[in-house]
Amino acid sequence: MKLIALIKKEFHRFFHDPRLIITMLLPGLVIFLLYTVMGEAIHAEPEKQDYKVYVKGEATAFTSVLQTALEEDGNTVEWLPLEDEEAAKKAVEEGEATAILYFSENFNDIISDPSGTGGEVAIVYDPMDEAGSAFYALSTALLQQIGMRFSVRSEPLISEEGIGRQIMQQLLPLIIVCFVFSACMSVTLESVAGEKERGTLSTILVTSAKRLHIALGKIIPLACISMLGALSSFLGVALSMPRLMGISMGFLGGYSVGSYFLLLFLIVSFVPFIVAMISVVSTAARSVKEASAYTSVLMIFVIVLSLVTAFLPTIGNWAVAIPVLNALVFMQQLLAGGLPVWQSLVSIGMNLFYTAGLVLLMTKMLSSEKIMFGK
Amino acid sequence: MSEEIVRAEGLRKSFTLSRKQQKIEKTGETKRVAVNGLSFSAYRGEIYGLLGPNGAGKTTTLRMLSTLIRPDAGDAFICGHSIVKEPERVRDEIGFLTSELKLEGFFTTDYLFDFFGAMHGVEKGTLQKRKRELFQRFGIDRFAQVQVKNLSTGMLQKVSLVISIVHDPSVVIFDEPTNGLDVLTARVVTDFLAELKGMGKSILLSTHIFSLVEKLCDRVGIIFDGRMAAEGPLEEIAGGDLEKSFFDLFYAIKGETV
Repeated sequence: MKLIALIKKEFHRFFHDPRLIITMLLPGLVIFLLYTVMGEAIHAEPEKQDYKVYVKGEATAFTSVLQTALEEDGNTVEWLPLEDEEAAKKAVEEGEATAILYFSENFNDIISDPSGTGGEVAIVYDPMDEAGSAFYALSTALLQQIGMRFSVRSEPLISEEGIGRQIMQQLLPLIIVCFVFSACMSVTLESVAGEKERGTLSTILVTSAKRLHIALGKIIPLACISMLGALSSFLGVALSMPRLMGISMGFLGGYSVGSYFLLLFLIVSFVPFIVAMISVVSTAARSVKEASAYTSVLMIFVIVLSLVTAFLPTIGNWAVAIPVLNALVFMQQLLAGGLPVWQSLVSIGMNLFYTAGLVLLMTKMLSSEKIMFGK
Repeated sequence: MSEEIVRAEGLRKSFTLSRKQQKIEKTGETKRVAVNGLSFSAYRGEIYGLLGPNGAGKTTTLRMLSTLIRPDAGDAFICGHSIVKEPERVRDEIGFLTSELKLEGFFTTDYLFDFFGAMHGVEKGTLQKRKRELFQRFGIDRFAQVQVKNLSTGMLQKVSLVISIVHDPSVVIFDEPTNGLDVLTARVVTDFLAELKGMGKSILLSTHIFSLVEKLCDRVGIIFDGRMAAEGPLEEIAGGDLEKSFFDLFYAIKGETV
């Protein structure tokens, strides 16, 4: 009953103060608008594309259907015979050509024969190129429509511009962690250090509520509120990233539901950890100003960890044992298309374990007269 | 004599002096004894006043009794519960009010009353009944839905007093209840204390104001340097003039003039 009253008080404080709600949800909206506008400015290209595709092998039965489909949308297609493979790859890489199509022998015959099997198509394209991605999506969809009798092999090339975008993908965990940290910081500092500084926390300490309940009564609701802020920022990034990167299919479009859930659970697991960490620092500090200074040091530490993860992608599975780092490493692996299931689950468990440790530490601190009432 | 409700036995508390404090006070001491073996008793339905100059150890004593800090030695029993071994039980038996403890300005009086009631485990029906009674008795009902930050100083003090007794405690402890208050608000507090006494509560207060002790207290304990210099019924200690008795005692013990 006492714990519920403490939790309800924090929610009441937050949800009845429009300023707090706005400061929590605004970053997501600002990120979305900012990134979308930036994306529009960078990728202000006409929607209609001029496709230039190199072809190796006879497959007019397929390319004519593909051409009709592409031209229906007002695009133009130019089919070029593949003579110099290296030059063609370079052209794709530099964005001068859209893709290279390799058809296996007798592809026309196989496609004309309803019982024919064994055809193979290889597609070389730049997945970061809007035209390349669209061409690949339409080609594979068409091949599947024909009857799934062909195995499709794609060889994505990544251009210099693409590498830049890949770095953006690597930095996404850093961006998420920074937003999460800011969200946690904005509510926790005020609620814990602020209450201590104003003397309202002492008023609660005079009641018969257990110190553990007081600690949980802060960390549980603050973690829930911070998650709202973190999700707002995350949605802002996720929804605007396709426009920023100029990918029409959607940046997160290619991920499985499992990946989404793991990503969400990773975020959800390290939010309470960060809230608990800031709560402990805020309990130790004598004022919001002091707590804010200590928390800034923590934030720098987290940013350095994020940068290390972004530029040193070979960090091993030992990262599961380090809070925040584990979330960063496995978020990055998830965003790169991997599915590190057990690592993510162990990381989530470890983050919750460390959070429990910090809750106990805060309980101890609330019982310490030196910390709570020391001058 | 009525039932003993507070019994302090040899309470002792010392604090470590920081380098800065040592420098300010020009002392090489690293420890300062704030309360030194303090013993006294307070009885049901009485107002007990701890009287002493600033730094005598009054606030430290009350903080120990309210379980905010632990004594280095000794113990005290409130309604039979040890402040050292059963701090949570003690906190349910006391209402503690000091200028250090504040109410969150964002919330309304009504919300905070319910919140602190829940913090003390008061049953909902009882809490609502008590809220109606206390709000009406102290004229708070019209301000129940006003945010605490928007209340006048006098009304805020009333609200703080009412919230400190939300759980109907047996003992009410007030540290310097009229300190820093204007005459009107101070009157609110003294009237409130008299009301509480009328309600059968036992009150323990600390002060350095002679008139407050003379007006309200049944028993008084005079503290110098963390030690009990004299203790007993007001008439016995004051002997007709509390201020004179206080300074006579002060000179006798400290051998100084003011």
